[in-house]
Amino acid sequence: MNRAYLDHASATPVRKQVIDAMLPYFDLHFGNPSTVYDMGSKVKMVIEEQRAKVAGLIGAKAEDIIFTSSGAEANNLAIKGVALGRQKKGKHIIVSAIEHHSVLNSARFLERLDFEVTFLPVDQFGIVDPERLRSAITPDTILASIGHASNEIGTLQRTAELGSICREKGVVFHTDAVASVGNVRTDVNELNVDLLSLSGSSLGAPKGIGALYFRENIRLMPLIHGGIQENGRRAGTENVPGIVGLGTAAEFALEELPEKTEYVRKLRDLLIAGIRERVDKAKLTGHPEQRLPGHASFCFEAIEGESLIFLLTQGGIYANTGSACASKALKTSPVLVAIGVPPDLAQGSVVFTIDKSNTFEEIGYVLEKLPPAVNRLRMMSPLWGREALAYTEAVCT
Amino acid sequence: MKFVKDIPADETLDLVCRMCPMHLLEPGDRLKCMKKGQVLEVLTDYDGALEDIPAWCRKCGQDFIGIEEDEECYKLYIKKAK
Amino acid sequence: MYTDKVMDHFSNPRNVGEIKDADGVGEVGNPVCGDMMSFYIKVEDDRIVDVKFKTFGCVAAISVSSMVSEMAMGKTLQEVKSITNKAVAEALDGLPKEKMHCSNLGAEALSKAIEDYERRSGKVKNDG
Repeated sequence: MNRAYLDHASATPVRKQVIDAMLPYFDLHFGNPSTVYDMGSKVKMVIEEQRAKVAGLIGAKAEDIIFTSSGAEANNLAIKGVALGRQKKGKHIIVSAIEHHSVLNSARFLERLDFEVTFLPVDQFGIVDPERLRSAITPDTILASIGHASNEIGTLQRTAELGSICREKGVVFHTDAVASVGNVRTDVNELNVDLLSLSGSSLGAPKGIGALYFRENIRLMPLIHGGIQENGRRAGTENVPGIVGLGTAAEFALEELPEKTEYVRKLRDLLIAGIRERVDKAKLTGHPEQRLPGHASFCFEAIEGESLIFLLTQGGIYANTGSACASKALKTSPVLVAIGVPPDLAQGSVVFTIDKSNTFEEIGYVLEKLPPAVNRLRMMSPLWGREALAYTEAVCT
Repeated sequence: MKFVKDIPADETLDLVCRMCPMHLLEPGDRLKCMKKGQVLEVLTDYDGALEDIPAWCRKCGQDFIGIEEDEECYKLYIKKAK
Repeated sequence: MYTDKVMDHFSNPRNVGEIKDADGVGEVGNPVCGDMMSFYIKVEDDRIVDVKFKTFGCVAAISVSSMVSEMAMGKTLQEVKSITNKAVAEALDGLPKEKMHCSNLGAEALSKAIEDYERRSGKVKNDG
């Protein structure tokens, strides 16, 4: 059967060269990097080499990289670590309304510790207006966190401008770049960020490894206490194979970035144009131009996302959805609500994320199978053909 | 405990939020890159450092000048002696 | 995530459609919440002789609607009234626990269709 895997934001295969690089660290060079004898110190040196590779991908210095278990942990460390480290200076934090749960929930946790959090609204494309950020900053603001790109709607933020405003006002600026690293250029100096999170699983590294970049001299309260791994900033015996995987994948990502960006953009544009042409009442979510090069996200009227995903997988097509049913919490996606998508339309959300391993033929196959699948669900839907039901529109000031 | 004020420092090492034993590992690394006679200012919010650092200086032959208390942290001053 | 029975009813749903001159119509749910089911029934001699449904919802919602329609077809109103959401879930060999509310909706939609029929045919006093 034909297949088209278009959910690379969730998981992407680890290439053979990355796996081969990792393998010796399971049984051959298995030493604990903290041990004093050479089996350990040699592995420690390898870790430092990988650190430099990850730093190279984002234009940072090796010593400013902390390895974590995931992008989520990196986000937790950034938000909570900075807040707790700077709390004597102030207790106000700003995040955007469309951040990943690991940023939003870290901020909500801090509210319980008497921090004040402002959730910045976004426009209909998900963009944070830099002037909005500027006016939200008070003398009590110590941290702002605005993701570089959204995995749900693909929108790329005006991060360098946001960072510049924060710098001007003495506010530490963090960006969750899990969705963007490896897909667009992400240089910490160009972006004016003080902290940046990334995840191995979006880079072609294994799951269970991530990293946090932090500009030197940022006071960061560790979250995981114990030994002196990661220079005392994040305890725990290092995931050596994972780190090797991340470093190796980072090298490939840096090298392949320009070519990959150009290629996936072509596939994405073909997919978007094709869907717009063949499927009625399909809303592209996120910014039409300022978006990740391989990201196509839609909301289809009168149908529900999980059902569409299952119909597509029956045809060998893999995509993702932000609909409430699919998310086990049974809540409408807060990102879609924040950009003003009506809650019933938000149910019909589908997200395609394209990688350089995808082909034009696969896009053609999706365009062949998607419209009949949408129609099939619409024929079953009591909403198709009806007047729009009354609903509360999300306030999007 | 020897308290001092307004000590001019050649370099500052900010160890606020850093956990034990970083307050004993990092000053040593930084002093290695400094010249004899230069003063290192160590910032820490860890109470244990108030005893640990002077003791470490004695052990390693460095000059411990004194402590200043700031509203945010302690400032400890070490003069490189060797 | 889903049993084979659920996937079968999802992929080959029975009784999809509308009945233009239905004897009873029941609608439950809300697209804002992610599930909406409309059931249409034709009744003769207190027996359901035709049933159709339309559903906006996830795999569980569609398969529950299909199963409910199958369980109701040809049964007396009395028999149909005693169909519980538990029975629907069991007939589907089980539903994930976060989807059990879909089986509630199915049973409820059918009940409402019957209530509508009874109200229209004057069998139940309309309490306004």
